[in-house]
Amino acid sequence: MSTVIPRSDFARDILHVYAVITWASVGIALVVFVALGWILVRFRDRPGAPLPAQTRGHTLLELAWTVAPALVLLVIAIPTIQVIFRTQAVPSPQALEVTVLARQWWWEFRYPALGIGTANELHLPVGRPVVLKLEGPDVIHSFWVPQLGGKRDVVPGRLNRLTFTAETPGEYWGQCAEFCGASHANMGLRVVVDAPEAFARWVSAQRATPAEPAGLAAEGKALYARSACVGCHTIRGVSAGVLGPDLTTFGSRGTLAAGMFPNTVENVAAWLRNPPALKPGVKMPALGLTDAQARALATYLVSLK
Amino acid sequence: MTDQPQAHAEHASIGTYVKVAVILTVVTALEFSVIYIRALTPILVPLLLVLSAGKFALVVLFFMHLRYDSRALTILFAGPLLLASGIAIALMTLTGAFLLFGR
Amino acid sequence: MRAWLTTVDHKRVGILYGVTAFVFLLVGGIEALLIRLQLAGPGQRVVSAETYNALFTMHGTTMVFLAIMPLNAMFFNYMVPLMLGARDVAFPRLNALSYWIFLFGGLFLNASFLVGAPPDVGWFGYANLTTKQFTPGASVDFWLLSLQILGVSSMIAAINFIVTIVNMRAPGMTLMRMPVFVWMTLVVQFLIVLAFPPITVGLIFLMFDRFFGTRFYDVTAGADLHLWQHLFWIFGHPEVYILILPAFGIVSEVLPTFARKPLFGAPVVIYSGVLIGFFGFGVWSHHMFAAGMGPVADAAFSIGTMLIAIPTGVKIFNWLATLWGGTIRTTTALHFAAGLVGLFTIGGLSGVMHASPPVDLQQTDSYFVVAHLHYVLIGGSLFGLFAGAYYWWPKMTGRLLDERLGKVHFWVLAVGFNLAFFPQHYLGAIGMPRRIYTYADGAGWTFWNFVSTVGAFGIALGVLLFMVNAWRSLRAGAPAPADPWDGRTLEWRTSSPPPPHDFDTIPPVLGRDSFWREKYGRGRGAGGAGASGGPSAGAPRVPDDHIHLPAPSSWPLLTAAGLGILAIGALTHLAVVAVGALVTVVCMFKFALEHHRTAAHEHQVGNLGVDHRKVALWVFLGSECFFFGTLIATYLAYKGRSVVGPEPHQILNIPLTTLSTFDLLMSSLLMVLALAAVQRGDRLQARLWLFGTALFGLIFLGFQVYEFTHFVLEGLTLQQNLFGSTFFVLTGFHGGHVTVGVVWLLSLWVLDLRGKLGVADAVKVEVAGLYWHFVDVVWIAIFTLIYLIP
Repeated sequence: MSTVIPRSDFARDILHVYAVITWASVGIALVVFVALGWILVRFRDRPGAPLPAQTRGHTLLELAWTVAPALVLLVIAIPTIQVIFRTQAVPSPQALEVTVLARQWWWEFRYPALGIGTANELHLPVGRPVVLKLEGPDVIHSFWVPQLGGKRDVVPGRLNRLTFTAETPGEYWGQCAEFCGASHANMGLRVVVDAPEAFARWVSAQRATPAEPAGLAAEGKALYARSACVGCHTIRGVSAGVLGPDLTTFGSRGTLAAGMFPNTVENVAAWLRNPPALKPGVKMPALGLTDAQARALATYLVSLK
Repeated sequence: MTDQPQAHAEHASIGTYVKVAVILTVVTALEFSVIYIRALTPILVPLLLVLSAGKFALVVLFFMHLRYDSRALTILFAGPLLLASGIAIALMTLTGAFLLFGR
Repeated sequence: MRAWLTTVDHKRVGILYGVTAFVFLLVGGIEALLIRLQLAGPGQRVVSAETYNALFTMHGTTMVFLAIMPLNAMFFNYMVPLMLGARDVAFPRLNALSYWIFLFGGLFLNASFLVGAPPDVGWFGYANLTTKQFTPGASVDFWLLSLQILGVSSMIAAINFIVTIVNMRAPGMTLMRMPVFVWMTLVVQFLIVLAFPPITVGLIFLMFDRFFGTRFYDVTAGADLHLWQHLFWIFGHPEVYILILPAFGIVSEVLPTFARKPLFGAPVVIYSGVLIGFFGFGVWSHHMFAAGMGPVADAAFSIGTMLIAIPTGVKIFNWLATLWGGTIRTTTALHFAAGLVGLFTIGGLSGVMHASPPVDLQQTDSYFVVAHLHYVLIGGSLFGLFAGAYYWWPKMTGRLLDERLGKVHFWVLAVGFNLAFFPQHYLGAIGMPRRIYTYADGAGWTFWNFVSTVGAFGIALGVLLFMVNAWRSLRAGAPAPADPWDGRTLEWRTSSPPPPHDFDTIPPVLGRDSFWREKYGRGRGAGGAGASGGPSAGAPRVPDDHIHLPAPSSWPLLTAAGLGILAIGALTHLAVVAVGALVTVVCMFKFALEHHRTAAHEHQVGNLGVDHRKVALWVFLGSECFFFGTLIATYLAYKGRSVVGPEPHQILNIPLTTLSTFDLLMSSLLMVLALAAVQRGDRLQARLWLFGTALFGLIFLGFQVYEFTHFVLEGLTLQQNLFGSTFFVLTGFHGGHVTVGVVWLLSLWVLDLRGKLGVADAVKVEVAGLYWHFVDVVWIAIFTLIYLIP
């Protein structure tokens, strides 16, 4: 999640300004520290030292150290203003639009033009401008994937947006960056930047209805269909709940519970047995499942690719 | 503690106060009438602001005696007044109040 | 013991502030250590998520409001009168009142722990997380009520100090001859007086939303969640200058003393402090660069923020130039002051990085900003406070602190602090967000978090060393002479500690660094710019003055207790609120009348040629401009955004309101007639016009009651929509002000009926009149902006 290893145009623009300011700051800090250190040594009190000259001031010096910092700030201000306007410009019409709904404590992503939706793992095509439209149904959150750019708050009642073009395929981590309650620390997200063909494949997979499962997974599906799960979650062809994340392609995600754990059958089963114990304040309750039931359900969910 | 007499260079007379009160009444009546005059609608907002600023100034300068009191008091009040007004306008701009004002 | 409960002596009030604040510093410190223990490794379970969220909230709130601000207040209280050559502050009992309200506010906030509901929404509590919908328990109520109480304490103290500084200076002490610490104090008090009203309003909105169902932060009703952020940061940014400027003032005293030469460019340091204070009101949204205000707002606030860096940098260079060419005695106080110069440079530079929105979008809400704020608050404020502690300890206690132990304290603290917080810049740069109770092992954050925790314990050790030093000094420290450091300012001219009346005779003021001048004359060296501007030969003649010591009083403590009861009632039962309100009001009356007609209290005119009470009221009116300005701005910001009706044009009755406006205007005329009558001793007319004014005020309130009732019956309630919420709160608070005015005037009227309002009391009527006219003037604004403008 480094802010200094950019993987988008936005992140690179920021890093450029960051570098300018950092070098200027290091320079100024050096001047101050060297001066301070030298002064404290050179003008130390010695026994019998006379009263020093009672210098009151020096107008030219005052001017000098007012103007000099001002000039340094000018050097910082110019790229700052340029980048502000460049990175908040009206997005290109070719941009891929993704609606980001930030909830306590998970992320929903909808692709209106593609007719698909998913949760906690955002897939983006490399090299194509993207517009994230940030909407918040509950409290203020903040969308932050450092390698893809700066953060932007998700403010209920306002339409904020983030625009950038991812430049390198890969997986990037993000995390909510505005305190939003008990599990603010557990609201991570994963961004997968795909080459065009991989992205197209992913989109198709999102659109397809999952195949009929067999074996333990089939047991899991049967259990799912008759449990409270259907009230909150959507699995295409099985249930249509909207209070929790869409699980249609849950198995294709690398993590669960908004980036908390790797997506394995064991971890999913542990989660299903007692979500609040793992994620404080989470709205998903413990459903009183037995270990066997949890395993079956987990197997089913992990099979949903 | 310094022992200096209270600065009273001039003092408003009762007559002055009554005159101010009359002007305040007239201006208030004006403000009330002006909102019903169609022809004035384009300049209504600036007109009302100017009229009420005038009333504000009259009360502060005369009833609150700032015109006759130490300059320091004027600075003590005018500073925060201007700063508060500036911040209020900035706040309204940032929350988009002026975008709706055209209605 | 009883003496401490009723003291009004500024020195004792200062010590009360200091001791209380230090205890809260330790409380906040323990909260910090728990935070660091939890974060020392990934996935720890030292505390639960909920507890952690409460810990960082309380740590921030405690350190800002209960530790740093009152530690600053300790020095304001103790030193400012001495440095001015005064014998106390302008209003000694109000001074004590401020302290007791602070104490009760701090206790109230921490009582939340006892009932298991500590605030857990972050020290700047963003709406709408703080609304009842998302945080239903009492935690936010504790938080907002405490802040309101603490705000009252700060405001009263601020008005007190402003009047003291502008009106109680010794003869010859022009403003430019005042020590820089006093100047920084003056700027801080103005910041407090003007910045607290906006957050008071924001908190009132939150309180009303939570207690009465208004819509200020209700998104479904059309509210804008940026409103809270704006109101908070319009306060919050000046607040950080409130926290740091006193430390800058201390450094500006310590460095010259131990370098044995004057502060370089003292007028420039003063002007830059004033500029920082003033421009500090124009940069608040740099805390909101990620909030989506748009590029124009981002750019504007970015430039403003960068501009503020200039006067700050100027101070650093002036301090370096002060040390240059000096004969530097490296006492502990000097260590801390020099430490501030270095550490604040780092904090200031990381601040400049935050000033650039693109960069800030990576750094804000991450550990980078946590590093920044601790560099300026610990490296800046706390180091400054320790410098002041070592510098002024002899004066305040009559004993010396151990210099060797002091230097160990300094080094342990400096190393611990840098170990704790420098790595946090890096943690932020590699993506660690703030306010997270845990993190994953694979994030790569583990090692530096561990280092940071070690550093935190180093800080704790440093503070402990100070406590040992202090304890040993108080028990058996070497006695301190009046002037242990060969000081430059007036406080060193009296004994250590000073006698109750501070100075046997008011000292002569020969110029800036007056005491140094007395000892050494104008001294060697260049005159240069920024000379004090006074005649060097011959001190002004000091009049023979009679020493009047303010009498102790129990009303400050009791009034504060009333407020405390009120707050408890807000969380328990309406009856308790009523009791608290009753106690507060009764005590206020007792307080106000305690010295009515005491000869020594009649004449309180100062340097400006104006009575202290009149100056105080004008300062208060300045703060009221901010209070009502914020309410009006919110009304106008929300105008037209209600999701449901009724709307203003459907329900406001302009003809009727014009009548009530006329009534209020005429009441002002009656008020000036009343004042004129009192001033010339015409008791009959005084009673007539005083009652008349109050009567017209009651008529205005009658109009308002009618209007409110009519609106409610027409379907416009507080809760109905944004219009209802903003309208009723704005005009309701105005009506509340009118009510207070009516009560005030009727009290004066009753005093007159009893023959206790003479010509000598005219200033009290004048002050009441000023308040009354201002309430009228606010109505003029409301009438136009809310009723008339369509």
